[in-house]
Amino acid sequence: MFFGVLAEVTGTSFLYFSGVRTLSDLRQRITDKHPEIVHYNFRIAVNSLFTDDDCALSDGDEVALLPPFAGG
Amino acid sequence: MHKFLSEGPLTAEQLSCLMSQMNDRSDTGGHSLFIGQVRADIVNNKSVEAIEYSAYESMVNDEAERIIAQIKTEFTDVKIVEILHSTGIVKAGEVSLAVMVSAGHRHQAIQACSKTVELIKERLPVWKKELLEDNSHIWRDNRG
Repeated sequence: MFFGVLAEVTGTSFLYFSGVRTLSDLRQRITDKHPEIVHYNFRIAVNSLFTDDDCALSDGDEVALLPPFAGG
Repeated sequence: MHKFLSEGPLTAEQLSCLMSQMNDRSDTGGHSLFIGQVRADIVNNKSVEAIEYSAYESMVNDEAERIIAQIKTEFTDVKIVEILHSTGIVKAGEVSLAVMVSAGHRHQAIQACSKTVELIKERLPVWKKELLEDNSHIWRDNRG
Protein backbone atom coordinates (compact mmCIF):
# COMPACT_ATOMS: atom_id res chain seq x y z
CA MET A 1 0.00 0.00 0.00
CA PHE A 2 1.24 3.47 -0.87
CA PHE A 3 0.27 6.63 0.96
CA GLY A 4 0.78 10.35 0.63
CA VAL A 5 3.38 11.43 -1.88
CA LEU A 6 4.25 7.79 -2.64
CA ALA A 7 0.71 7.16 -3.91
CA GLU A 8 1.09 10.21 -6.11
CA VAL A 9 4.46 9.32 -7.64
CA THR A 10 3.57 5.67 -8.22
CA GLY A 11 0.08 6.51 -9.46
CA THR A 12 -1.49 3.82 -7.30
CA SER A 13 -2.50 3.06 -3.73
CA PHE A 14 -2.32 -0.73 -3.96
CA LEU A 15 -0.09 -3.32 -5.53
CA TYR A 16 -0.53 -7.05 -5.16
CA PHE A 17 2.37 -9.51 -5.23
CA SER A 18 2.34 -13.25 -4.79
CA GLY A 19 5.12 -15.58 -3.78
CA VAL A 20 7.00 -12.95 -1.79
CA ARG A 21 8.81 -14.54 1.14
CA THR A 22 10.55 -11.63 2.86
CA LEU A 23 10.27 -7.88 3.22
CA SER A 24 13.55 -7.36 1.38
CA ASP A 25 12.19 -9.42 -1.53
CA LEU A 26 9.11 -7.20 -1.57
CA ARG A 27 11.17 -4.00 -1.49
CA GLN A 28 13.10 -5.24 -4.50
CA ARG A 29 9.91 -6.12 -6.38
CA ILE A 30 8.48 -2.69 -5.66
CA THR A 31 11.59 -0.76 -6.66
CA ASP A 32 11.85 -2.81 -9.86
CA LYS A 33 8.34 -1.65 -10.73
CA HIS A 34 8.60 1.89 -9.35
CA PRO A 35 12.30 2.89 -9.20
CA GLU A 36 11.32 6.49 -8.48
CA ILE A 37 10.45 5.65 -4.86
CA VAL A 38 14.14 5.37 -3.91
CA HIS A 39 14.21 9.17 -3.92
CA TYR A 40 11.69 9.37 -1.06
CA ASN A 41 11.92 8.72 2.66
CA PHE A 42 9.49 6.21 4.06
CA ARG A 43 9.03 3.69 6.86
CA ILE A 44 7.37 0.32 6.49
CA ALA A 45 4.53 -1.22 8.48
CA VAL A 46 3.53 -4.85 8.21
CA ASN A 47 -0.05 -5.45 9.28
CA SER A 48 -0.15 -1.96 10.87
CA LEU A 49 3.04 -2.42 12.92
CA PHE A 50 6.24 -0.54 12.15
CA THR A 51 9.21 -2.64 11.24
CA ASP A 52 12.78 -1.57 10.63
CA ASP A 53 14.04 -5.06 9.94
CA ASP A 54 13.70 -7.61 7.22
CA CYS A 55 11.04 -10.13 8.14
CA ALA A 56 9.24 -13.12 6.70
CA LEU A 57 5.99 -12.45 4.87
CA SER A 58 2.98 -14.68 4.40
CA ASP A 59 0.11 -14.61 1.94
CA GLY A 60 -2.36 -11.94 2.98
CA ASP A 61 0.12 -9.75 4.85
CA GLU A 62 -0.55 -6.04 4.39
CA VAL A 63 2.60 -4.01 3.84
CA ALA A 64 2.39 -0.22 3.88
CA LEU A 65 5.02 2.26 2.71
CA LEU A 66 4.62 5.31 4.92
CA PRO A 67 6.14 8.70 4.09
CA PRO A 68 6.84 11.04 7.05
CA PHE A 69 3.61 11.76 8.90
CA ALA A 70 1.82 15.08 8.80
CA GLY A 71 -1.14 14.79 11.12
CA GLY A 72 -2.47 17.71 13.07
CA MET B 1 -13.87 0.04 17.12
CA HIS B 2 -13.43 3.66 18.14
CA LYS B 3 -13.62 5.98 15.15
CA PHE B 4 -10.84 8.56 15.15
CA LEU B 5 -11.26 9.87 11.61
CA SER B 6 -13.96 12.07 10.16
CA GLU B 7 -14.45 13.10 6.54
CA GLY B 8 -14.14 16.86 5.97
CA PRO B 9 -13.78 19.64 8.55
CA LEU B 10 -14.72 18.95 12.14
CA THR B 11 -17.99 20.62 13.03
CA ALA B 12 -19.13 22.49 16.11
CA GLU B 13 -21.53 19.62 16.73
CA GLN B 14 -18.67 17.10 16.72
CA LEU B 15 -16.63 19.25 19.12
CA SER B 16 -19.64 19.58 21.37
CA CYS B 17 -20.10 15.82 21.28
CA LEU B 18 -16.45 15.34 22.33
CA MET B 19 -16.90 17.71 25.25
CA SER B 20 -20.10 15.99 26.29
CA GLN B 21 -17.94 13.01 27.33
CA MET B 22 -17.42 14.85 30.59
CA ASN B 23 -21.12 14.78 31.39
CA ASP B 24 -22.35 12.46 34.10
CA ARG B 25 -18.85 11.98 35.52
CA SER B 26 -17.93 12.91 39.02
CA ASP B 27 -14.29 11.76 38.99
CA THR B 28 -12.98 14.48 36.64
CA GLY B 29 -12.14 18.00 37.74
CA GLY B 30 -10.12 19.38 34.82
CA HIS B 31 -10.48 19.19 31.05
CA SER B 32 -8.04 20.32 28.36
CA LEU B 33 -9.17 20.79 24.78
CA PHE B 34 -6.84 21.28 21.80
CA ILE B 35 -8.30 22.35 18.46
CA GLY B 36 -6.14 22.36 15.34
CA GLN B 37 -7.15 24.73 12.56
CA VAL B 38 -5.92 25.03 8.97
CA ARG B 39 -3.86 28.20 8.46
CA ALA B 40 -3.78 30.17 5.24
CA ASP B 41 0.03 30.10 5.12
CA ILE B 42 1.87 31.77 2.28
CA VAL B 43 4.00 29.26 0.38
CA ASN B 44 6.15 30.44 -2.51
CA ASN B 45 4.09 33.65 -2.58
CA LYS B 46 0.88 31.64 -2.87
CA SER B 47 -1.81 31.26 -0.27
CA VAL B 48 -2.79 27.87 1.13
CA GLU B 49 -6.50 27.55 0.41
CA ALA B 50 -7.03 24.12 1.95
CA ILE B 51 -5.34 20.95 3.13
CA GLU B 52 -6.23 17.54 1.79
CA TYR B 53 -5.63 14.89 4.45
CA SER B 54 -5.22 11.21 3.74
CA ALA B 55 -4.75 8.43 6.24
CA TYR B 56 -4.02 4.74 6.69
CA GLU B 57 -7.28 4.20 8.51
CA SER B 58 -6.77 0.81 10.11
CA MET B 59 -3.36 1.85 11.41
CA VAL B 60 -4.72 5.19 12.63
CA ASN B 61 -7.23 3.30 14.74
CA ASP B 62 -4.56 0.96 16.13
CA GLU B 63 -2.03 3.73 16.75
CA ALA B 64 -4.56 6.08 18.33
CA GLU B 65 -5.53 3.32 20.76
CA ARG B 66 -1.83 2.83 21.59
CA ILE B 67 -1.38 6.58 22.13
CA ILE B 68 -4.38 6.70 24.46
CA ALA B 69 -3.09 3.69 26.41
CA GLN B 70 0.35 5.32 26.72
CA ILE B 71 -1.12 8.60 27.94
CA LYS B 72 -3.26 6.84 30.55
CA THR B 73 -0.18 4.91 31.73
CA GLU B 74 2.03 8.00 31.96
CA PHE B 75 -0.64 10.26 33.48
CA THR B 76 -2.43 8.17 36.05
CA ASP B 77 -4.93 10.91 36.89
CA VAL B 78 -6.26 10.96 33.29
CA LYS B 79 -9.72 9.46 32.85
CA ILE B 80 -10.66 10.34 29.25
CA VAL B 81 -8.65 10.87 26.05
CA GLU B 82 -10.60 11.73 22.92
CA ILE B 83 -9.01 12.16 19.47
CA LEU B 84 -10.73 13.19 16.26
CA HIS B 85 -8.85 13.97 13.02
CA SER B 86 -10.16 15.04 9.63
CA THR B 87 -9.60 13.29 6.34
CA GLY B 88 -10.30 14.77 2.93
CA ILE B 89 -10.34 18.48 2.20
CA VAL B 90 -10.37 21.04 5.01
CA LYS B 91 -10.36 24.70 3.99
CA ALA B 92 -8.26 27.41 5.64
CA GLY B 93 -10.01 28.51 8.80
CA GLU B 94 -11.72 25.17 9.33
CA VAL B 95 -10.89 22.68 12.07
CA SER B 96 -8.99 19.45 11.34
CA LEU B 97 -8.00 18.07 14.76
CA ALA B 98 -9.58 17.90 18.18
CA VAL B 99 -8.08 16.37 21.31
CA MET B 100 -9.77 16.42 24.67
CA VAL B 101 -8.23 15.08 27.85
CA SER B 102 -10.06 14.89 31.14
CA ALA B 103 -8.36 14.22 34.44
CA GLY B 104 -8.99 14.45 38.10
CA HIS B 105 -6.93 17.65 38.27
CA ARG B 106 -5.94 20.36 35.79
CA HIS B 107 -2.16 19.86 35.65
CA GLN B 108 -2.36 16.33 34.28
CA ALA B 109 -5.20 17.26 31.94
CA ILE B 110 -3.13 20.07 30.37
CA GLN B 111 0.15 18.13 30.25
CA ALA B 112 -1.46 14.98 28.90
CA CYS B 113 -3.34 16.92 26.22
CA SER B 114 -0.10 18.52 25.03
CA LYS B 115 1.67 15.14 24.99
CA THR B 116 -1.22 13.55 23.09
CA VAL B 117 -1.00 16.19 20.34
CA GLU B 118 2.77 15.64 20.03
CA LEU B 119 2.29 11.86 19.79
CA ILE B 120 -0.39 12.34 17.13
CA LYS B 121 2.00 14.41 15.05
CA GLU B 122 4.78 11.88 15.52
CA ARG B 123 2.93 8.59 15.18
CA LEU B 124 -0.46 8.87 13.52
CA PRO B 125 -0.24 7.78 9.86
CA VAL B 126 -1.85 10.86 8.35
CA TRP B 127 -0.55 12.90 5.41
CA LYS B 128 -1.36 16.37 4.23
CA LYS B 129 -1.27 18.02 0.87
CA GLU B 130 -1.45 21.81 0.93
CA LEU B 131 -3.65 23.05 -1.90
CA LEU B 132 -2.49 26.44 -3.15
CA GLU B 133 -4.42 29.25 -4.77
CA ASP B 134 -3.00 28.51 -8.24
CA ASN B 135 -4.19 24.86 -8.05
CA SER B 136 -0.67 23.57 -7.40
CA HIS B 137 0.06 21.58 -4.24
CA ILE B 138 2.82 20.76 -1.78
CA TRP B 139 3.19 17.70 0.44
CA ARG B 140 4.02 18.64 4.02
CA ASP B 141 5.27 16.60 6.94
CA ASN B 142 5.89 17.16 10.63
CA ARG B 143 9.68 16.87 10.57
CA GLY B 144 11.68 19.82 11.77
